[in-house]
Amino acid sequence: MVFLERIGFYFQTVLHLASDPINLAVLFGSVILGIMFGAMPGLTSTLGVALLTAMTYGMDTATAMLCLLAIYVGGTYGGSYASILINIPGTAASAATALDGYPLACKGEGGRAIGLTTTSSAIGTIISMLFLVSISPLISVFALQFTSFEFFLLAFFGILISGTLTSPDLVIKGWIAGFLGLFLACVGRDLLQFYPRFTFGLSELDSGVEVVPVLIGAFGIPQIIQVLKQRFQIGETQKFQRILPEFGTIVRNIPRIIRSALIGVGIGSVPGIGEDIAAWVSYGAAKNTSKHPERFGKGEITAVLSTEVANNACVGGAMIPLLNLGIPGSPPAAMLLGALMLHGVTPGPMISFEHPNFIIEVASILLLASLAMWVVGMLLARQVVKVLRIPTQIFMPIIGVLCIIGSYALGMNIFNLYLMLPVGIISYFLIEMGYPIAPLVIGVILGPMADENLRRALMVSQGSFMPVFTRPVALILFLVIVWTVVSQFAVYRNIKDKLVAKIMRGDSGETDLDKE
Amino acid sequence: MMEKDKLRKADVYSGAIIFFFGLWIVSQALKMPMKDSWGGVQNVWFVSPALFPLFVGGIIALLGALLCRTALKIIGFKAFKETLDWLLSKNFFGFLNSTPNLRFYAIAVLFLSFVYLNIPRIDFFLSAIVFLMVFITAFYFDDAVLLKKLFCFYLAGAIFFLVYFVFGLDEALGRIIPFAADVLMLCFIISYCVYAWKMIHTSADLRKKYRTAMIVALVGPFLVGMIFKYFLLVPMPSEGLVVAILDYFWYLEF
Repeated sequence: MVFLERIGFYFQTVLHLASDPINLAVLFGSVILGIMFGAMPGLTSTLGVALLTAMTYGMDTATAMLCLLAIYVGGTYGGSYASILINIPGTAASAATALDGYPLACKGEGGRAIGLTTTSSAIGTIISMLFLVSISPLISVFALQFTSFEFFLLAFFGILISGTLTSPDLVIKGWIAGFLGLFLACVGRDLLQFYPRFTFGLSELDSGVEVVPVLIGAFGIPQIIQVLKQRFQIGETQKFQRILPEFGTIVRNIPRIIRSALIGVGIGSVPGIGEDIAAWVSYGAAKNTSKHPERFGKGEITAVLSTEVANNACVGGAMIPLLNLGIPGSPPAAMLLGALMLHGVTPGPMISFEHPNFIIEVASILLLASLAMWVVGMLLARQVVKVLRIPTQIFMPIIGVLCIIGSYALGMNIFNLYLMLPVGIISYFLIEMGYPIAPLVIGVILGPMADENLRRALMVSQGSFMPVFTRPVALILFLVIVWTVVSQFAVYRNIKDKLVAKIMRGDSGETDLDKE
Repeated sequence: MMEKDKLRKADVYSGAIIFFFGLWIVSQALKMPMKDSWGGVQNVWFVSPALFPLFVGGIIALLGALLCRTALKIIGFKAFKETLDWLLSKNFFGFLNSTPNLRFYAIAVLFLSFVYLNIPRIDFFLSAIVFLMVFITAFYFDDAVLLKKLFCFYLAGAIFFLVYFVFGLDEALGRIIPFAADVLMLCFIISYCVYAWKMIHTSADLRKKYRTAMIVALVGPFLVGMIFKYFLLVPMPSEGLVVAILDYFWYLEF
């Protein structure tokens, strides 16, 4: 009965949102903007969500979420345009699509490839939405068992795992970036005793470092510097014919779609890593299981389908830990977390009590966003790809102005700008030296949660760390953290290799004896 | 991102900086109340505001040291010494003067002057116009010599405005001319337009780019600024001459 009620409420919410013309305008406008952000090499859906967060400040929560999720969905899909038509991935998420999408466009099948990416992206988002709705209540029940120790360990794990998985160079750099984010979160008066920490006597820092200027600075400014410093040029766009939805291809590849969607949801739900990794893993899985792996890289349609289903399925996957645990599953989800907090919604185990219908609302928005994305993709792709003709030297300075006004508009505080720029320039140098930026941002977001819960937990236990070992969930989290750290060291790998070799020798020894 | 061997060399230095940064965090955290009374509350170590910064600072220092050690282990002390020699050699100054770095300085100066000098003191629309105008023309012309000349012209203007505000000339001039800083900025914009035109007017291709740049630089701020000011009701960081004119027309009752 409750299940039917929930389904009823879900469709009621979809209809309610879709019946308001303003919501529809916001939905389609945001999807188009998201596709443009995704299509433009150098811009990402993360930056799109960050910039638009400031503009949603005056909106109600549902409209703001509609706007931001539509940009996220559109941006993840939009990257495929540049991948297919100019062989430059619009976003990291669509890098795998370029491998087979561009050869297809060169063969004169660009329209077919875009049609397929449009339909498969919509399907990926819808499947991930189904996972979000079905898994969330289970995770929510599990998360309700969490106490302060578990929350501290969870935040700590989120930072460590995102540092481990997003680091382009040494893993240690990912961890450093995460802890630098935690340091930024320490700035300001502490939440329990109001003691000023690292404020240098500046009253503007008393309330701490605002998340949105850090997000915009860390993702926007390095992007602008990198693109303009390297004199990045957009190549000639391949022409394409009619765009068809390719339903026939979709029906023939249902098992591939399900596998790719599962990969996308699974990877999306791991904190900190996002669409790009999901797309590559899905591409690898599609190639390994294909009867014709030799066709991959030469314009294989199933490759395009697999990568696009997976990267869009990540959107819903990233929402699962974000809404139920308060841990962002991907960099754009980190921006969404900041935006939700601005609107007075604190994601986490209590969300089902404080905002009982919120997850259903998010699922409804994801459905509407994927439908709007499909409509826009089918009808307006030819117009939208025109943005690829705008030179980067023109749109990057405009993005610079948007970064500045976006950081300022939040709280109307010039100090946010003074903070955003140094964060941006430092982030640029960190990126150049191989430090990932996503863990830094996740550190800033999760820092207050980690700080508050560590001290609260110790207060309850009167300074004892024993609950970490006596509480089952805390112990599991602790062991996972220890394993995450230890597994990165050569000593662990040496011991593991020796053990494996010993077991193998033991096995072969037994076999020899048996033979004798 | 840099190449692998360069990264390892850079890691030695970045690891050392991060190590010392971690130590600094720990030293600052140790100054926070651990067992003392703060605001009438007697502290115990586990509720102290220093606890989390100590934890974070300690780990940052540890990770910095580990990074430094890992990098040194890979490249060896000889490579470390070579990097140090390069940093002290003339080649390093050559690297600093390379075209990609000049592009970086131009971007950094444009942003720094926009945020710290112009936005708090000059009308937002004028600040944004000059930012976009210089940014787009300097990079869109795609010529290192032009970039250098246009950037130097802008730098001279930025220094002039810095002196103007630091020495309080704005207040003195403001008593005589309303919106004095905005008027000066308007003059600078016009002179920059004339200077850029003089630089490029012989090339048909650059003339086309110049027109595009000017249109975007003028339309962009008005489009973005007006959305924020009149639709999202966000007051601009500094409202001067242009905002006064826009307000006059916006609130005009026909």
